[in-house]
Amino acid sequence: MIIQIEPQSDVPIYTQLTNQIIEGIARGYMHPGDSLPSVRAFAADLGVNMHTVNKSYHELEKKGIIRIIPKSGAVINSPVEISNNSERLLEEFKPMIAEALVLGLDKEQIQELVTSLIQDIKGKP
Amino acid sequence: MDFMLFLIIIIFLVAIEMAIPFLAKRTTVFGVFIPDEFVRDSKLLSFKKMYALLIFILGLIAVSIYLFWMLKGNSTEAFQVLLGPAIQFGIIFISTALYFYFHAKTLQRKKAMRWGDNLKQVKMIDLTVRSQDTMLPWYIYLLPIAVTFGVIGYTLLKYNMFPEQIPTHWGPDGKPDAFTVKNPFSVNALPLIMFTMQLMFLGINEMTRRSGIKLSATRPDASRVRQLTLRKYSSWFMFLISVLITMLFSFLQLQMIYPDLADGVVSMALPIIFLLIVMIGSIIFAVKVGNAGENVGFQSGSGVSDLDEDQYWKGGLFYFNKNDPSIFVEKRFGVGWTLNFANPIGYFIIFGPIVIIILISLFA
Repeated sequence: MIIQIEPQSDVPIYTQLTNQIIEGIARGYMHPGDSLPSVRAFAADLGVNMHTVNKSYHELEKKGIIRIIPKSGAVINSPVEISNNSERLLEEFKPMIAEALVLGLDKEQIQELVTSLIQDIKGKP
Repeated sequence: MDFMLFLIIIIFLVAIEMAIPFLAKRTTVFGVFIPDEFVRDSKLLSFKKMYALLIFILGLIAVSIYLFWMLKGNSTEAFQVLLGPAIQFGIIFISTALYFYFHAKTLQRKKAMRWGDNLKQVKMIDLTVRSQDTMLPWYIYLLPIAVTFGVIGYTLLKYNMFPEQIPTHWGPDGKPDAFTVKNPFSVNALPLIMFTMQLMFLGINEMTRRSGIKLSATRPDASRVRQLTLRKYSSWFMFLISVLITMLFSFLQLQMIYPDLADGVVSMALPIIFLLIVMIGSIIFAVKVGNAGENVGFQSGSGVSDLDEDQYWKGGLFYFNKNDPSIFVEKRFGVGWTLNFANPIGYFIIFGPIVIIILISLFA
């Protein structure tokens, strides 16, 4: 699974890493039970500070997407192992939906947008 | 014999120096990062050719000077001994000067052409690449170390058979020419030096494994092949050197116990064979790595370029990046590795053994 980051982007590198790992799992490039590279190997391959990778892993752990097992590394959780997060997602969706409404999108347009994103990630049915 | 040896070394040196611009990493020309789509620039190609041609002429002059002095025959031996290394240093010095000249020219060209100004710079990694890494495992390096322990044990067993004067230095003919007093430490100086070097090779192998597998975003497949090939052959080459040193040192050690172990021809030929194997090995290494990935299809990612890391490469030769946890990185000009000078562990692994070896030879 390939990860591509833009060091000169405004988005911090650790956020870019987190987002791409999540997207990789959603797209099925990585599966529950797979392990992520060690922080050291990941940081060395990318040529970034180990703290950056560490921060991203901890963010993923906080979201419940991976679990960090001492000495064996970071392993991807299966959806059943991830505790119910819908409340957090609701909080995170809210400003985005509000912004879309302010920008003049109606309900159908927003739904269409979401559907097309899901199709893009999951592949056409 | 010395005469032939120096001639071979000079020719080898010139051939390698000539080939370097063509074997070095594709997207770095004379130590300057060039975005993939511009590396075929005709001006850059002419820089490389000019460099090779100048080195070739330099080599011809060096060989002529060497032959002239050697065949004149009336020079003193001391002069002859100094001439070879002096010419080698001369070649290295002048080719380094040429490198810096073309480094500056390439930088100028890059700036003038505004290469990469409109490209989005990205970094790419492959999360599964580590499973394709085929470096030798660390325990392979224990084999020569086991031999060392055998030699030390045998030395202590045969302590009485050692001469009262222990050789500490060998001339080019393989015969000892400097001695020290016999004691249990000095008889084992040679195996201990050998042990230090074996540990160093093991250390370098492991530090290399922990160093980054850097992929190019514009040529992910080709760069992956090159990085994996570089890692694989580095670890094989280092193992070969470790085994060769073990054989040579063990032989020298046994020769102290049994002075008649081999006749003069063998002990004279041994260092030369050693040198030849190392040189042939490094040529194979350079060619294998230099060509690795070249036949993998070119993937032109429009609008994208690798990250320009010129700021971390002082003079295009020395890498200082304190964020990068890698201890070794692929050289920009040349085939092989260079230290990340911002990482102190690298200094230990390279200079530590040298200090220990000097201490052993001082106190033995």
